[in-house]
Amino acid sequence: MKLPSFEYLRARSLAEAWALHSDAGGDAVYLSGGHSVVPSMALRLQAPSRLIDISQIAELHGVELQDQTLRIGAMTRHAEVLANPLIARHAPLLSRAAPHVAHPAIRNRGTIGGNLALADPASEFPAAVLAMRAELEVMGPEGQRMIAADDFFLDLYETALIPGEVLTAIHVPLPPEGRLFGFDEIARRRGDYAMVGVAAQADMSDGVVSDASVTLFSVGVAPTRATAAQDALEGAPLSSDSIARAQAALATDLDPPDDPGFPAERRLQLARVLLGRVLTRMEAVQ
Amino acid sequence: MKLEGEQLLSADPQTVWAALFDRDVLAEAIPGCESLEQLSETEFTAVVKLKIGPVSARFKGAVTLSDIVPGQSCTLSGKGSGGVAGFAKGAAQVTLAPEADGTRLCYDADIAVGGKLASLGNRLIGATAQKLTDAFFTNFSDALAQPEEAGPT
Repeated sequence: MKLPSFEYLRARSLAEAWALHSDAGGDAVYLSGGHSVVPSMALRLQAPSRLIDISQIAELHGVELQDQTLRIGAMTRHAEVLANPLIARHAPLLSRAAPHVAHPAIRNRGTIGGNLALADPASEFPAAVLAMRAELEVMGPEGQRMIAADDFFLDLYETALIPGEVLTAIHVPLPPEGRLFGFDEIARRRGDYAMVGVAAQADMSDGVVSDASVTLFSVGVAPTRATAAQDALEGAPLSSDSIARAQAALATDLDPPDDPGFPAERRLQLARVLLGRVLTRMEAVQ
Repeated sequence: MKLEGEQLLSADPQTVWAALFDRDVLAEAIPGCESLEQLSETEFTAVVKLKIGPVSARFKGAVTLSDIVPGQSCTLSGKGSGGVAGFAKGAAQVTLAPEADGTRLCYDADIAVGGKLASLGNRLIGATAQKLTDAFFTNFSDALAQPEEAGPT
């Protein structure tokens, strides 16, 4: 189906983007890679009167090391996330998540900023960003804000972004030596929406887990931090015992919805199985 | 799909019952409600704008109350069309029971979604329905907390 008619405007700066957005009185959508907005318009699920192309704005581009963080520009495309050596070294959860994000043609256009701003509950990057305890750099007419990932994903497709604000970059804290990472998902076919997914990282000290960060996606309205599972891992060596305790703790952490043909209990069971796989692989690596 | 739940409201059953039939309270409680017109004591028409992620559609629909047992239970049925985006319909059996300091409202709903919304959004229908239901009862509860809106119809 063809798109409903709309006005296309390319912003040359953030200030121009904000002005164009506020002009439209709430009926405008920012366009980065266009791989969620455009299909949903073609399906007539939404019909904004104005698309504001933010893809040429300089602040949104580039991947660079800063003092204590890796700054990943919001316009970084999924294919670049997959291939970038700085991301592979300092934000490996993103590199491992990227092959699961859709298909190569989509990865060539879709951007990490667009993905995070949409906040689909089955999407990989939001959970990876949450697991890495990254901060999201947001700029609006009122100025710049840094939002912790834990405070960014609020509800179903709801983020802490206020209308008009632009997500400009992701700041990933540089990991210490020896940090363990794990990522995997279960999908019906490669590239499909995940039925359940896990992103995890753990720091070891004197043979025990000193800090664990475990997040899941496609298990609720937003990416979810599994705090009870983290507590089960911390203070003990990574072993089949502690992994079993973390799996059992998921019943406390998760409350998945019943969907047609996919009962909550089955999703919880898949989450336990997948968490077991991911943590077992991390145990084997250390 | 089925959706069950209950909500503890701070008002007594008579007040809650009256509010269920009160146009102003319903207009405030229905998430995204742009207009609500009362055609008769038990029939309403509504225009609702929903914006959830990549879906932003305006639904026009009808709401009917039936199986009325005054003060105790009734069935709320609704159906709405969002143009090419699809349609939604549902019915909820609502039961009121008195509690020490208020009313326990139980609902047992069956919701169906069709058209493009269903083909695209099947994986999210459970979460969406839950979000909208929670929003309805939170708003309903808030509206009840304002005493001037709790008059009998």
